[in-house]
Amino acid sequence: MIPFEFEYYKPDTVEEAVNLYDSLSNKNKKVIYYGGGTEFISMARRYNMYADAVIDIKAIPECNEFDFDGDDLYIGSAVSLSQIADINKFPLLSLVVKRIADHTIQDKITLGGNIIGTIIYKESILPLLIANSDVVLENKTGKRRVSLNKVFNKKLLLDEGEMLVQVIVKKEYVNFPYQHVKRTKNEKIDYPLLSVSALKDNDTINVAFSGLCEYPFRAKKIEKILNEDSLAKKDKIDEIIKNIPGEILHDVGGTKEYRKFMLGAIISEILDSFQEEE
Amino acid sequence: MEKPKIGVDTKRLEAWDKVTGTAKYNADFITPDTLHAVMLASPYAHAKIKKIDIKKALKSEGVLAVITGEDAPYLTGSMIHDRPPIARDRVRYFGEPVAVVVANTEEQGMKGVSLIDVKYEELPAVNKIKDAIKENPILIHKDLSRYTYAATDIYPKANTNIMDHVKIRKGNMKLGWSESDVVVESTFFLPQSDHIAMETRNSAAQIMHDGTVIINTSTQGPFAVKEELSDIFKIPEGKIIVKTPLVGGAFGGKATIQLEYIAYLASLAVGGKKVLVRNTREEDIMSSPGKLGVEGYVKIGATYDGMIKALECIYYVDCGAYADTAPRMAKSIASDCSGPYNIENIYCDSYSVYTNHGYTTSFRGFGHTASTFCIERILDKLAKKLSMDPSELRIKNAIKENDTSPTQDKITLSNTGDLNACINKLKKLINWEEGTLIENEDGMIKAKGMACLWKTSNSPTDATSGAIITTNSDGSLNLNFGATEIGPGMKTTMAMLLAEKLKMGVEKIHVFMDVNTQVSPMHWKTVASMTTFMVGNAVLKAADDLIKQLKQVGAIALKCQPEDLDVGNEMIYMKTDPSKFVFFKDVVHGYKYENGNAVWGEIIAKGNFIMRQLTPLDKETGKGKSGMSWTVGAQAVEIEYDPRMHTYRLIKAATVMDVGKTINPKTSKGLVMGGMNMGFGLATREEFIHDDDCILQTTSLRTYKVMRFGEQPEYIVDFVETPQMGAPFGARGLAEHGILGIPAAFANAMSLATKEEFDTLPIFPETIYKKKKEVEQ
Repeated sequence: MIPFEFEYYKPDTVEEAVNLYDSLSNKNKKVIYYGGGTEFISMARRYNMYADAVIDIKAIPECNEFDFDGDDLYIGSAVSLSQIADINKFPLLSLVVKRIADHTIQDKITLGGNIIGTIIYKESILPLLIANSDVVLENKTGKRRVSLNKVFNKKLLLDEGEMLVQVIVKKEYVNFPYQHVKRTKNEKIDYPLLSVSALKDNDTINVAFSGLCEYPFRAKKIEKILNEDSLAKKDKIDEIIKNIPGEILHDVGGTKEYRKFMLGAIISEILDSFQEEE
Repeated sequence: MEKPKIGVDTKRLEAWDKVTGTAKYNADFITPDTLHAVMLASPYAHAKIKKIDIKKALKSEGVLAVITGEDAPYLTGSMIHDRPPIARDRVRYFGEPVAVVVANTEEQGMKGVSLIDVKYEELPAVNKIKDAIKENPILIHKDLSRYTYAATDIYPKANTNIMDHVKIRKGNMKLGWSESDVVVESTFFLPQSDHIAMETRNSAAQIMHDGTVIINTSTQGPFAVKEELSDIFKIPEGKIIVKTPLVGGAFGGKATIQLEYIAYLASLAVGGKKVLVRNTREEDIMSSPGKLGVEGYVKIGATYDGMIKALECIYYVDCGAYADTAPRMAKSIASDCSGPYNIENIYCDSYSVYTNHGYTTSFRGFGHTASTFCIERILDKLAKKLSMDPSELRIKNAIKENDTSPTQDKITLSNTGDLNACINKLKKLINWEEGTLIENEDGMIKAKGMACLWKTSNSPTDATSGAIITTNSDGSLNLNFGATEIGPGMKTTMAMLLAEKLKMGVEKIHVFMDVNTQVSPMHWKTVASMTTFMVGNAVLKAADDLIKQLKQVGAIALKCQPEDLDVGNEMIYMKTDPSKFVFFKDVVHGYKYENGNAVWGEIIAKGNFIMRQLTPLDKETGKGKSGMSWTVGAQAVEIEYDPRMHTYRLIKAATVMDVGKTINPKTSKGLVMGGMNMGFGLATREEFIHDDDCILQTTSLRTYKVMRFGEQPEYIVDFVETPQMGAPFGARGLAEHGILGIPAAFANAMSLATKEEFDTLPIFPETIYKKKKEVEQ
């Protein structure tokens, strides 16, 4: 049960949605864009989240798009994780989302919700970061298509009232060799102890991490070390662990030390797997 | 002749309702006049309550009343009266109810709760058992020696945090140690955890104008609710009616009385209107009682050829902030501390300790999960030291006829069963002989671990049950008894027993699925795996009474003597000539002669049962009798360990238990598997984690982990049948037991695979990593 009242809107167009956001915010209302609702419903029931109004974007056609148009794969922000996995246009992304929550919840969680929500892991962003995706963002003042890597720093840097409409992935990335390894504290279905996605762009490995710090990230420095031919595998791992760009998580899910150990083991696994494929 | 009913897979009476979602649980019955009570929980583990300001809350829309500990000067507890239903003057655990808002809707109640302003003065908290038992500890109950007690055999120590101390002194320790060639000792730890029943705990109360109190509650003990409410609030017992529909899982967590008090106080505060209080999952974890934590020290001695000669153990039971039934579990740990083995010299101390953790109540296994873990781990260590196969060591020492239990109770084949038959069967099922440790070419390590189990009940010495049979004019029967249906299909089992006895179809037995204390005969509590035994005996006695009456009225109808008759297929017939008979339907509501005259009237049959020959344990020696019988069994777990990542997979788990007689085979197997699954929960993930301020961190299912469907290994369950005399068709209790040996068998397998010793639960991959790291350094 959600113990407070809130307004619910379900617009048919992006324009309508962003205008609603603007007009409701101007009335000093706390407004959120709403996808599958798994976070809002589960957190609002304990007052851990609050909104005066929610704007459900699931009826907006652009947000439900999931197909190629020429060389671009368009994925709407309201596409559910189940749809991503079932339709399987981007195998690495499919693999990653299949390990987020359980199947029932995957039917609800949307790509946009997973990327923008308050839960820190946002694992579905990993393939998108390393595939150099673009995102389409829109608010009342206009629409922009930008590189995800430019607007994602610990979180998606949205302007006031901006909603994530779509993600665009170039076809070539969809077909690159990939690896994804997720480890949890102990269970098949859980938040990651560590989740790592990697994609091989010709001779270069792109890699992104979730569960290592309080936010998912892709770091140039780490990729440089990983792709440095002169370094032995063991040295690469040692160097990467030294160059983690933030505080390593240390909580009930796992200690800092253990996450470091797991990072080394996973990088080793990924490097070996890419090698085997060659 | 009707086919046998016992030993035949029989669908649960409530099965279709449950699988179609039609089944109703207590909080599903919300009437338009139902008000809602919402609790405010303490944010501190230990603090003085300086002031509670409820003015704003009272003004909030829809709020009808706000009650605090000041309005409820009562102390409750099934053993020690140490717990105010709503915290008074101080809070003793994180999540303790501090105030209750009664409102028209749950939303309004929550809003009201958010407007209550409480001023606390934080006190240092007792976060660890060792801090609770040290010299001059922080005292959690300064009034411990001034409390009144609901139990007589409980021995609190004034000015300490020790609420009870159970001693076992059996044999001659000096002799035992002198006969021991090899001695092994270890310390073990099992954390507190939760029941996580699917239906969170909830209760409703209404006080009628004539003073009748109606409690609708999800409970394992409706009759205990009635008695304790009467005792605490001085309400005549006959004025209290407790009603319980299907219960959505309990595991011991609904044998306690908590929300019933709050619902009653809330109803009282609004002039007797019906008030429902239901836990959110978070409240169910942090505010209502959970499973105890245990620290155990065990030392065992044996001869070179593996005969155990001496056992010394000290257990500290983390009962949390209030006693509830926890001291009984500490007693239960002590009284079965040897495991199912013959040990002549035993010295055991079991202490019940207060901490500022959430308080605890009965949990599946009633303390035996802890004692089994400790004894079965130490046995594997002993086997290792003796270079003996762990199964051989167990077979050699298995408890047998003419041995005695730690409480010096005499063991018979009937009261205990055949452990070695279980072990031998288990070894075949798990392919023990192929080897317990196999290293695969890919580097993976497969390992098997074993553990045995035993458990007796721990009821009051005068625990009782009843059963009533009434009749319908079509000759079918109605059965009513006081055990609530908490999941194991007990309503069905009782119908099967009655059908077997009457040699009639189970579908002609109509069982009252609820319990209503006003119309159902009493059953102590639906706990301790004792329903089949206790209620079953009452049902069989009622069946005898019914048959006797049927024969009496049948004799009139058939113009013969009652002893000439037998019953079956809803007929009463002449033994010598079954073609001479009368149908049940023609006599159960009276027999009518051809001329219209009638005799007898409705046949109503009754039966009861009371525990026999039980005694409390002697304060100094522990001599006594806790239960009428044990159930023994053997369990094994097979795992695969990845030494590179320190992760593991559960492959297989098997249980063989001596159940005396299987009444409903598939249901029994399902029950045992459910227990095994919970055992894996304790072994691999379930724990309460407290931070340095004693604040519970695992308050939701985001962080408190339970086994999910699909994570379980392959389960194999089989039975040995050594009948128990005096039990219905020889059937022993089996409902809890599946959980008992799994954590130990798992830890034994892990220890073997990793070559490290795991004496603490749960065991995560990180636990293994840390252990390996320690060894490296």
